[in-house]
Amino acid sequence: MPDRKMFWRIMRRLLAANRGRLFVILLALGAGATITAALLNLQVDAKRRITAEFRTFGSNVVLVPKNSSSTTSGTLPESATRSVPTHLAGEEVRVISALYLIADVSVPSSGKATSAVIAGLNPFAFLTIFPRSSSDTETNHSAENVCVLGVRVARQLNAQQGAELVISIGSRRESRHVASFKETGGPEDDRIEISLRVAQRLADLPRRISSIELRVPGTPDAIQSYVAELQRQIPEADVRPIRQFTEGEAKIYDRISSILSATVALVLVLTGLCVMAAMTNVAMERRNDVGLMKAIGGATRRVLRLFLAEAALLGLTSGVLGGAAGILLSMWLGKAVFGIAARPRLIVYPVAVGLTIIVAIAGAYPLRRLTNIRPAAVFRGEA
Amino acid sequence: MFLRLVADSFSRRPRHKLLTGAALALGMAVATAALSVSLDVGDRLAREFRSLGANLVVTPQADSLPLEIGGVDYRPANAGAYLPESDLRKLKTIFWRNNIVGFAPILDVPIFVSRFDGPNDISKIKPNASLIGTWSAHALVVPDGSSYVTGVEKINPWWHVEGSWFNESARECVVGANLAHKDGLSVGDPITVYGFARAVPVSVELRITGLLNSGGPEDDSIVASLATAQWLTTTSGEYRRLYVSALTKPEDEFGRRDPSTLAPADYERWYCTPYISSIALQIKQVLPGADVRVIRRVAEGEGAILRRVRTLLWLVTFASLLAAALAVGASSAASVIERRTEIGLMKALGAGSGTVGFLLVAEQLLLAVVGGGLGYALGILLARLVGQRIFGAAPAFSFFVLAVIVGLAAIVTLLGSAIPLRRASRYEPAPILRGE
Repeated sequence: MPDRKMFWRIMRRLLAANRGRLFVILLALGAGATITAALLNLQVDAKRRITAEFRTFGSNVVLVPKNSSSTTSGTLPESATRSVPTHLAGEEVRVISALYLIADVSVPSSGKATSAVIAGLNPFAFLTIFPRSSSDTETNHSAENVCVLGVRVARQLNAQQGAELVISIGSRRESRHVASFKETGGPEDDRIEISLRVAQRLADLPRRISSIELRVPGTPDAIQSYVAELQRQIPEADVRPIRQFTEGEAKIYDRISSILSATVALVLVLTGLCVMAAMTNVAMERRNDVGLMKAIGGATRRVLRLFLAEAALLGLTSGVLGGAAGILLSMWLGKAVFGIAARPRLIVYPVAVGLTIIVAIAGAYPLRRLTNIRPAAVFRGEA
Repeated sequence: MFLRLVADSFSRRPRHKLLTGAALALGMAVATAALSVSLDVGDRLAREFRSLGANLVVTPQADSLPLEIGGVDYRPANAGAYLPESDLRKLKTIFWRNNIVGFAPILDVPIFVSRFDGPNDISKIKPNASLIGTWSAHALVVPDGSSYVTGVEKINPWWHVEGSWFNESARECVVGANLAHKDGLSVGDPITVYGFARAVPVSVELRITGLLNSGGPEDDSIVASLATAQWLTTTSGEYRRLYVSALTKPEDEFGRRDPSTLAPADYERWYCTPYISSIALQIKQVLPGADVRVIRRVAEGEGAILRRVRTLLWLVTFASLLAAALAVGASSAASVIERRTEIGLMKALGAGSGTVGFLLVAEQLLLAVVGGGLGYALGILLARLVGQRIFGAAPAFSFFVLAVIVGLAAIVTLLGSAIPLRRASRYEPAPILRGE
C-alpha cells in the first residue's frame, strides 16, 4: 500500500514542519479538552456533594406514630427502626430513634431543680456542639453514664461540665454526669439528651420510641420517592417529610444545579468556539502547502482529506492527553472545594476526546475554501 | 505614517484580524458572563435560602424552660416570661434593618376546641389542642414613618394554606390539616376555643378561613391572630417567641471570633458586616430582656453551601478565563508568525526591532480593546439571559467586570504575541525575503 505509506509520510512532515505551530495548536486543543473534561466531571459530582451538604441541616424526614396528635402521645415499637432502608443510591441514611418524656431534674451541687424535656436518643452522641459535627463523634459505650444539656437547661440549672444531674419520674431515678452542652437555636437548647436505654427505663416504656428521625441524602426527587416507599413499608407510622427543609432544599437545589449547568454549558460552548477560532487562524496559513500539493497533481479531495486527517490526529492526541489531565484536575478540585476527591466518571473521558476531535476538525474546515485557490497565484505570492 | 501602517494592516487582511478578534471577543464573553454571574450569585442564593425560614429566634431571658414535645408546650399557661409586642417595630431601626426579610412573634396557648356551642360543664374541660397566635400579614408602622408588612406568611413559605389566611382584625383562624381532619372541620365553620389562664375558662368564637398544611406539629394546632392568643392568655400586648429571617453573610474566620475580644476598629468592622452573630447582637440591643439565638440548623448549612457554590463558580470562571487566554494567545501568536515576510521587508527598509515591535504591539492592543469591548457586551447579554432564566433577575452592571475584562484582553493578547514578537525582532531580513 504505497499510497497509505505516502499519506503517513506527508502527515509526519506536516506535523514536524513547524514545531512552534504544532505546540500552539496542541496547547489550545489540549487546554480545551482539559477544561471540558474537568468541568463535566466536576459538575456531576458537585451536584451530588451539594445534596450531601444539605444534610448539615439535620433530619429531613420524621416517623411518628399514626394519628398522634397533641393529646395522645403514642409510641412506636423500637423494631420499626429495622424496617428503615439504610441506604439510598449508595449513600447512608442516618437513623436516630428518640423517646421524649418530661421529668424532674435537679443538680445537687447547685441545689437547683426544674422540669425539663428528656430526649432518649439512639445513637446518642455526646461530644457535639451542633448537628454538623455529630457525625464525627462516635457513640461511646460509656454513654450510659452521661447526658448532654441544652444551653438553656444548663443556665436554668446552673450546671457545670461534669456535674451530677438527677433525673426522676415518680419513684424512678437516674443519676448522670454532664458531658457537654449543646446550642442549636432549636428545641435541643431546652432539652436534656440521654441514651435511649436510660430514657426507656425512666419512662418504663421498654422497647418503645416516640419518633424516628431520618437524615436522607439525595436529590429532592429521590427523597420524595424514598418517603413514599417508607410509608408503604411501615404502615403503622406516619412518615412526614420536614417540609421546611425538603421544600426549601428542593428550591435551592434547583437553583444551584441550573446555575452550575448554565455556566458549565456556557464555558464549554465558548471554549469550543475559542479553540476553533484559534485553529482556523492557524489553518489559514497553510495555503502554500495546499498550493504546492495541487501544483504537483494532488486531487482537491485528497488534499482536503489530508488536512482534515491531520486535524483529527491533533484533536485525538490533545483530547487523550487533555482529557486525562482534566479528570485528574477535577479530582483535585473536588478535594479543594468539597474535601472529597471527585469520583472520576469514565463516560466523561470519551466525550471530552470526541468533542475535541470535532472541534479540531471544525476548526480546520475553512481549509475547504482554500481548495479553489489557483496554485500559480499562490506561488507568485499574490493571494 | 505609524497610524497608516496600522490601518493598512487591518484593511489589507480583514479576515485574519476578524478571526483573531472573534476568538478574543468570544473568550472575553465567556469570561464576562461567568464573572458577572459568580459575582452576583452569592446574594441571589442567600435570598433563596430564606425559603428555609427563620434563622434567628428571640426568647425572653427570664423564660422558664418550655416543656415541648411534638410541638405542644406542656407548661402551665401562667409560667414563663413574655416580651412586649410594642418593641417589635424597633427591629426595623437596626443597622442591618434592610437585611431583615421578615419576622413573626409567636404566642402559643393550650386550648380546648369545640365545634359547636361548647361543653355543658366548662369547669371540667381540659386542653385538647394548642393555638398559635401570630401575625399573618401584619402592617407595622416603623419609627421612621413608613409601613412594613411582615408575618408568618413571609418567614414560613412552606406553610400552605388551603383557603385563605385569617384577617388579623376579624375573629378568624386557620386550622391545621390533621386537626381539621380529626374533628371534621372545614373552611367556613365556626368553632369555639377555650383558654385556661383564669379560674374560669374564657372562650372566643372563631371562623375558619383556611386549612394549614405545614408538615410539622402546626398541623395539629390552630393558628390565629396574636390578639386572639393574648385574649386567651389574658396577657396584653405580649408574645413568647419571635422568629426572624435575615439575609446574612456566611461566617468566616473573622465572623466567628468573639466580638468582646476584638479591638475597637475590628469590632466596628464586625458590627458593620451582616454576620448572623452581629445581626443577633443588634436585635438584642433594641429588644431589652430578650435572648437572641441563632438557629444553627438553618444558619450553618446555609453558610457551608453558599461557600461551596461560590468557590465552584469561581473555579468555572477561572477555567473560562484560562480557555479564553489560551485561545486568544494562540491566535495572536499565529497572526505574528505569519507576518514574517512583512517584518523582514520592514527591517530591510531600515526599521529597527523596536519600531517593528511597537507597531505589532499597537495592532494587538487595538484588537484587544475592540475585541474585549465586544466580548464584554456579548458576555453581559449572556449573563442577563442566565440570571433572568434562573433567578428571574439580571445581575447588576458592574464597572469592575468591564475593567477586568478589557485589562485581561490586553494582557492575554500581549502575552500571546510576546514570544513570536521576540523571535520576530531577531529575524535577519535577507533569508526571509529570499523565502527561506
